[in-house]
Amino acid sequence: MSFVTFLVDDDGGVLKALARLLRAAGYETRAYASPQNFLAKYDPALPGCIILDLAMPGLDGLALQQELAEQDPERPVIFLTGTGDIARGVRAMKAGAVDFLTKPVDGTQLLAAVDRARRKDDEARNARANREGFERRIARLTPRERQVLDYVVLGRLNKQIALALGTVEKTIKVHRGRVMAKLEVRSVAELVRLTERAGLGPTR
Amino acid sequence: MSTLTFPSANSRTPALGSLLAGPAFTAALYFLGAEAAFLIGTLSDRIFAPFWPPNIVLFCALLLAPPRLWWLYLLATFPAHVVAELGVGMPMPQLLVAFATNCAVALVNAAATRGLLGPLPWFDSLSKALLYVAITAVASPALVALGGAFVPILGGGSVYNYWTFWVQWCLSNTVSILALGPVVLTWLSDRNRPAAHLSSGAIVEGALLSAGLFLVCAFAFESGKGAVADGLLPAILYLPLPLILWAAIRFGARGASVAILVVAVALLWRTLNGPNPFSADTPEESVFAIQAFLIGVSIPVLLLGTAIEETRRAEQAVRKSEESMSFAAIAADLCLWHFNYRSDQFWITDHGRRMFDLALDAPVTKQSIIDAIHPHDQPAARSAIRSVALSDRLIDTEFRIIRRDGSIRWVRARARADRNARGEKIKISGTFADITTQKAAESELAQQRRDLAHLMRVSMLGELSGSFAHELTQPLTAILSNAQAAKLIMANASPDFAEVAAALDDIISEDDRAGKVIHHMRGMLKKGEAKFEPINVNDLVGSTLRLLNNELIARRVTCDCNLTKELPPTSGDPVQLQQVLLNLIMNAVEAMHGVSSSRRIITIRTRTLGQGKVSIDISDRGTGVAPTHEHQIFQPFFTTKERGLGLGLAICSSIMKLHGGTLDLENNPDEGATATLVIPGEDVHLVS
Repeated sequence: MSFVTFLVDDDGGVLKALARLLRAAGYETRAYASPQNFLAKYDPALPGCIILDLAMPGLDGLALQQELAEQDPERPVIFLTGTGDIARGVRAMKAGAVDFLTKPVDGTQLLAAVDRARRKDDEARNARANREGFERRIARLTPRERQVLDYVVLGRLNKQIALALGTVEKTIKVHRGRVMAKLEVRSVAELVRLTERAGLGPTR
Repeated sequence: MSTLTFPSANSRTPALGSLLAGPAFTAALYFLGAEAAFLIGTLSDRIFAPFWPPNIVLFCALLLAPPRLWWLYLLATFPAHVVAELGVGMPMPQLLVAFATNCAVALVNAAATRGLLGPLPWFDSLSKALLYVAITAVASPALVALGGAFVPILGGGSVYNYWTFWVQWCLSNTVSILALGPVVLTWLSDRNRPAAHLSSGAIVEGALLSAGLFLVCAFAFESGKGAVADGLLPAILYLPLPLILWAAIRFGARGASVAILVVAVALLWRTLNGPNPFSADTPEESVFAIQAFLIGVSIPVLLLGTAIEETRRAEQAVRKSEESMSFAAIAADLCLWHFNYRSDQFWITDHGRRMFDLALDAPVTKQSIIDAIHPHDQPAARSAIRSVALSDRLIDTEFRIIRRDGSIRWVRARARADRNARGEKIKISGTFADITTQKAAESELAQQRRDLAHLMRVSMLGELSGSFAHELTQPLTAILSNAQAAKLIMANASPDFAEVAAALDDIISEDDRAGKVIHHMRGMLKKGEAKFEPINVNDLVGSTLRLLNNELIARRVTCDCNLTKELPPTSGDPVQLQQVLLNLIMNAVEAMHGVSSSRRIITIRTRTLGQGKVSIDISDRGTGVAPTHEHQIFQPFFTTKERGLGLGLAICSSIMKLHGGTLDLENNPDEGATATLVIPGEDVHLVS
């Protein structure tokens, strides 16, 4: 799936010109004249970035950013502003904007920002794909194996785990081997790293 | 002109001293009058005087005294009468009858004249003078003489001569009242008039006249004897007449009566003392003739004098009213004029000639006035003249005139057509007023108002500079992006020329848009007179909102437009009307400062009212107008804002007035306030 630039600006002339520029630079571009319009047709599954005018009637850029953050937190957002409103720029950046550009925006700057956004989106998508794969593998574990995994990640020895689960060291050893095999990891260090990245703490 | 009002019956009772002074003085005059009568001469009985002043003294005294005191005057004169008549040896019964008839004639005269003639003066009105003669010289003597005729009879006269005596008594009173009455009465009425002084020339003329009269009388009577025989008596008798007429013409009733008095006294004295100039058989017969002559001359002369006086007074009154009118006109810087249709003559006051800078002696015509009018104003002036002729209304018009020195003055003309009984127009009368200074003040005021409105516009523009910058940034962004896009497309191996052309087209239209923003801003910054042009109110609202777009977003205010399509055509100055809209919308925005952002909504509605009027309502949901401020919000320098000048609404209101429209601000029933602008239709006359 190719990278899409979603363009939202209430000014028709600006919207048309920016869309033309992005298309000329080779991006697939979808232009929306209002935030409401954009939200109604937005597909979070598509890879891409959003280019938002900060000052729009009804729902302004910052409010739209907040709304997006709830359903699509990783989506990179580039802000455009007609007035160099520093306070709102800072707020936008804190809320995770990739860039904050002042109109009239220079094409090279905008394209550079879009490029950065694409890389960020790619990374985010890759990370998400990795995370999702790991989670799928974890789902293959039996409840007992899942319990063992939690203790392993905490750095417990087989003997300690067996004591805690009320079984013998040998059984734990078998479980541990299966966990490693099902999660497709070769070392405990790799296991710890993956679980951390997936945000999985012990189930206890 | 003052009048001498007689004291009425209910006048306040004066002190005893002053109460008796009048009667005592009257008695003294009565006595002197009787003595004078005797001195002038009596008839053959040595008792009956053909000229008898005491009755006039008593008559005048009764005129001056309140009626309830009349008895006191009659009582006081009785001793004077007795002493005077006893002095000539009149027996008691005769004396008593004589007193009774004297009192009677004085009482009848006083009562009748007081009742019928009213207050003095009487000798400036022909009708009053006629009535005076009818009462005092005809009716009253004729009546009382019925008793008076007994006086000579009681003195030994024959009863068969009753009617002779009646005539003698009657004529004696008539001559006295005609010769002496007007002298005393005019003197009495002049006494209370402040400016009744005669000029020194008039005094000299009067003296010459009197001397002439005496001389003529003396000459006439001395030369009379021979003349009678030659049949020249009438000519000689009428010798004093030119002098009497002279007196009447120059000095009115007063002069006439004094002249008659002089002639009467001289004639009677000469007849009764010394040789009889008229060579009649008895002095009685001569006296009768003289009395008849005197009466015949004095009544017309007296009336002539009165008529002359009346005419002179009327002329004076007219002159005085003309003077005061022309003074009032000059004081008001007005000039009066009229134009006669029949004679085609134009009359104008000297003040008007100076106003129009016309020579004071040159003839003025309608054309010379029209020629003086500024060429630009001539059509309007001509149509004003036509409408004066057509309607009965007062026409009011203003125009400029060019004076000979080239200076321009503003003149306001008011005129009305005068019509005769058949409704045909006879002439146009009117006024011209120089209103140049007023016009200058008006234009200065308008200039100041324009300056102030401009100042407010500039200051508002300062506040909205962010909005203007944003309005410029958008097309600039579009232009830059289109240009860069075109460049990118051109860099392609197979450029899409159609897209490049589209980009260039967009650049052109966006450039045009930026130009409009700058033009708009320049219009607001520009200072000048209001220029009226056709206006689409909905477009005006739209362009104002575009200008405020950024401001509204920054302040989180939503604008809800409810515009009626196909509004009637209106006209106005777009810059000034937009200034009003900007001001009102910004007021609405500021009114909602404390309101939560979800409720910060401004509703703008355009509507069609009757008669081609269009209204714009701007409603907010803010705090509204405090009831205590309702009457002040349109006052200059009234403000509820911390940093406001208090001129916004005052200027908006004056701009709307200039457009012949209105501006109202009212609280909504639920929350906030609504400002309503009413703009009149295009065909409505504009006050520019």
